[in-house]
Amino acid sequence: MSLWSRFSRTLRPGRHTQEIEEELQYHLAMKEQDGYDARAARVRFGNTSLLKEETRAQGVFVWFESLLRDLRYGLRQLRRTPTLTLVVVFSLALGIGANSAIFSLVDAALLKPLPVRNPQSLRLIEWSTAEGWPGDLCHMHTGDTTGGANGPMRGSSIAPRIYRQLAAEQRGFASLIGFSDPDKAAVSIGSRAAEQFQLEYVSTNFFEGLGVLPRFGRSFSSRDDRAGAPPLVVISERFWRSRFGSRGDVLGHPIRINNVPAQVIGVAPPGFFGVQIGEWVDLYAPLSALNAISPRAKLDRLLNEADTWWWVRQMGRLKPGVSERQTVQQTSALFQHLVVPPNNRPVPGKIPQLIASQGVRGFDPIGNDKARALWILLLLVGLILLIVCANVANLLLSRAVARQRESAVCLALGAGRFRLVRQYLIESITLALAGGVLGLLLSHVLAEAIHSFIRADLNIGGFDLHVDARILIYTALISLSTVLLFGLAPAWQLSRASVNDALKAHGRTFAIGRLRFPRALVVVQIGLSLTVLVAAGLLGRSLANLATLDIGFDRNNLIYVSINPWSAGYQEQQVRQYLERLRAGLAAIPGISRVGVIQERPLSGGANSTWVNIPGQAFHEDDAHTVLINSTSDGAFETLGIPLLAGRTFQAGDMSPKSDAVIVDELFIHRFYAHQDPLGRQFGTGPKPTELYRIIGVVKNSRYNSLREAIQPTMYRPYTTALWPGFGINFVIRAVLPVRQLAGPIRQAAAAADPSVPIVEIKTQTALIDHLLLTERLLSILSGAFGVLALLLSAIGLIGLLVYAVARRTNEIGVRMALGASQSDVVQLVLKDSFWLVALGICAGLPGAYFVGRLLKHTLFHLQPADPWTAGLSLFILAAVAALSAWLPARRAAQIDPMAALREE
Amino acid sequence: MLDIYIKYPRKMPKADYLQGSLEILVLKVLRRGSNNGYAIATCIEQTSDEVLRVEEGSLYPALHRMTENGLLKAEWRTTDAGRRARFYELTAKGRKRLEEEEKRWHSVTAAVAKVLRTV
Repeated sequence: MSLWSRFSRTLRPGRHTQEIEEELQYHLAMKEQDGYDARAARVRFGNTSLLKEETRAQGVFVWFESLLRDLRYGLRQLRRTPTLTLVVVFSLALGIGANSAIFSLVDAALLKPLPVRNPQSLRLIEWSTAEGWPGDLCHMHTGDTTGGANGPMRGSSIAPRIYRQLAAEQRGFASLIGFSDPDKAAVSIGSRAAEQFQLEYVSTNFFEGLGVLPRFGRSFSSRDDRAGAPPLVVISERFWRSRFGSRGDVLGHPIRINNVPAQVIGVAPPGFFGVQIGEWVDLYAPLSALNAISPRAKLDRLLNEADTWWWVRQMGRLKPGVSERQTVQQTSALFQHLVVPPNNRPVPGKIPQLIASQGVRGFDPIGNDKARALWILLLLVGLILLIVCANVANLLLSRAVARQRESAVCLALGAGRFRLVRQYLIESITLALAGGVLGLLLSHVLAEAIHSFIRADLNIGGFDLHVDARILIYTALISLSTVLLFGLAPAWQLSRASVNDALKAHGRTFAIGRLRFPRALVVVQIGLSLTVLVAAGLLGRSLANLATLDIGFDRNNLIYVSINPWSAGYQEQQVRQYLERLRAGLAAIPGISRVGVIQERPLSGGANSTWVNIPGQAFHEDDAHTVLINSTSDGAFETLGIPLLAGRTFQAGDMSPKSDAVIVDELFIHRFYAHQDPLGRQFGTGPKPTELYRIIGVVKNSRYNSLREAIQPTMYRPYTTALWPGFGINFVIRAVLPVRQLAGPIRQAAAAADPSVPIVEIKTQTALIDHLLLTERLLSILSGAFGVLALLLSAIGLIGLLVYAVARRTNEIGVRMALGASQSDVVQLVLKDSFWLVALGICAGLPGAYFVGRLLKHTLFHLQPADPWTAGLSLFILAAVAALSAWLPARRAAQIDPMAALREE
Repeated sequence: MLDIYIKYPRKMPKADYLQGSLEILVLKVLRRGSNNGYAIATCIEQTSDEVLRVEEGSLYPALHRMTENGLLKAEWRTTDAGRRARFYELTAKGRKRLEEEEKRWHSVTAAVAKVLRTV
């Protein structure tokens, strides 16, 4: 018999029965014909329907048939208790949804391969040297570097001209693509105001090499990468949707990038975000477009026509079946040939060689602390799911108890226990799948909400979070694993049920003796809640420690206005004049009390550093000689509110490009001029200082680059000595009005100074700090939400259990009250019951809390994992919520009317 | 109040002395050519001089089981008398099974006969 006929027989049992019937009819007819008495023949045949049953039971697919029957029965059962079903499905949806939301972030940020063809064969191509910085070959490096200081060093980028030659001449890789780091660009479409987007300069083989076909239009051809041509751009599908409303006539549409006219030639496929995860790029332009678009290109020309500014990252695609080592060696030899000028050979240890590493996830800019934060969130949300499962298990258990009589009847009539267990599991799976589907919808909303929080008020960057097969599989897996957690409990309870007791008893007294299993579940819930609460408490307190840290100046009412005067085509002299003009304009705005100029905004995530070289002291390029450097105008310290300790601050007279004035902080003095009068002393920077700076003042320490790291010595120079062509600069403003009232006047002042210089952004110091603490805030907010959720779920679990327990003990309580127990005695009875549950739960939760604290060790700031305050507070909150939850059933118990309770019996 | 004690509700095996040998007999009959259930039963009964009686309650489940297991093929045909009947036919697998079973049967009966003779 073919598989199909067996299958169809299972699905259409009627037809099969008919066949058997016909066969038996024939048999009987023949018997009759042969002279047997028809009646005798039928008697001999016995029970024909039993015979049919037995013949049918041969079907291999019979289990399938009974499965369908069980499924139908299960659905009927679930419909019969709609409230319970809805509660179960919604709690599961909440737990599963939160889990897949966090997972989709973890997956997008930490696990998923690049959305390109065959990402496994991609390699990151970087360089390394044995003895630090590659000498004069490179004056500026944009990208990542590690190591250095005369030891082995590794860097991500090479010069664009070298890259073009290398890509054209190499034969080892199937293709070698090159691209810059994503760069912020002001993009305006039509008459709309300019907005910031991420722009990446890419080689012309970028899309082709990655195997990414444009959704429509074309990608770059080799002709597009030449100087002088109007820049062409390929836009992301996301950009096309949000800024062009998915219009079809986008090709050839003129847009302005940093005020430079450019043309759209293609749209990337949906979900393609580039090759740097978390840094979603919306516009791609050829490498040569940098000269037209980026103000930094001026610096490029300054740095000896491109070859010493290294900013092109590379990725290569291995040819199938070709040795990776050989390919890299060949390409590296070619690179060394190209990179070293014939007349200027550096020492061999400083000549970079190329190295390859796995590129399946591209260049991964997600830091370790962010990765850890995401894993912690996944762990916490997993605990929430466990709590949900415990709740659902208890709900289903109560239903199983209610159905125990029905089960007992089934058993008594000869049903196999396995069959009954299977029936329950099928119902559980149905519930879990319903919860999973709903959870998937919820997860998308949650993930997008978290995503927009991560992207903050910036409209740029971000992850690809669309629901793909991976998220579907994950959701299905956790949905099914919840079945194991919540479905097995009632099934297990059932398999222990004694038919005898169940049938004998009526009413409530037959149910599970002392509710041991439900109690255990509530204990587990309370333990898990404590763990989540302690984690939330630790993360919240850690954030509070960071947020209230003394940063050395008054963070409130401090506004930074970022501009880039170079983008208007200014020369250095004009930039200085412009800055002074705008500074005067800003100072005239009512509501602004002071204005200064500062190169790097404190606590904005960026900082410059250098090595101090003090005449008469030993010099090393090491941490002990590393200091942070910033440059400011006169009045900047006064505006920031950094107190002067000795000497003087910058005056207008110091603001010249040739000034040798330097202001240092306490820590600098402590490290380099201990027990000396520092004023008037001179020092330089780097191994061979070309000029010496003279200390004119000492200021108090302040936080510059980081809140977490130890404070570092800092030196300040007049901003006029460090005007980097192409790099933006900031005004620091002390305001007496809120920023939203000042933004308009500030823009007006900027337009009055020169309308062609765009304001890049206006940010308060507190907003910068918030951005710096993004990971901590995310962790704190989400773990706080999880903590509240855990408490709520446990409270529901506890209330449910106690209400049930009280209902079961109505008679007993009635008798007690009839015998003279007071209402408060009854309340105490219930409270004592819940007290033990909570106490046990806390005992169970303490090791978990300790373990989570240990995991958080590196995430916490100025806080011990076993912080007694946090533990105490968590315990207090948990106990308070538990007491509140127990109060409700206790009140209800106390209001039992003894007469009514006894009459019922 | 009524107590019901059913500890292990299991199906008891059917008491049927032909259960083991029915299969080999069916295979042997069908070796001569395809036939329907009634004819198979009649053939077994007549050949054994009415010593062996085939219970219909065993025959049809056995035929269906053997069909499931691929020993037989079944199809609906019209008999000489013009009635529709289900005809069974040996498959290659069934033929092979018959050879094995026959061998086994002979060795077992020989062994039993030897014990009966000797002891």
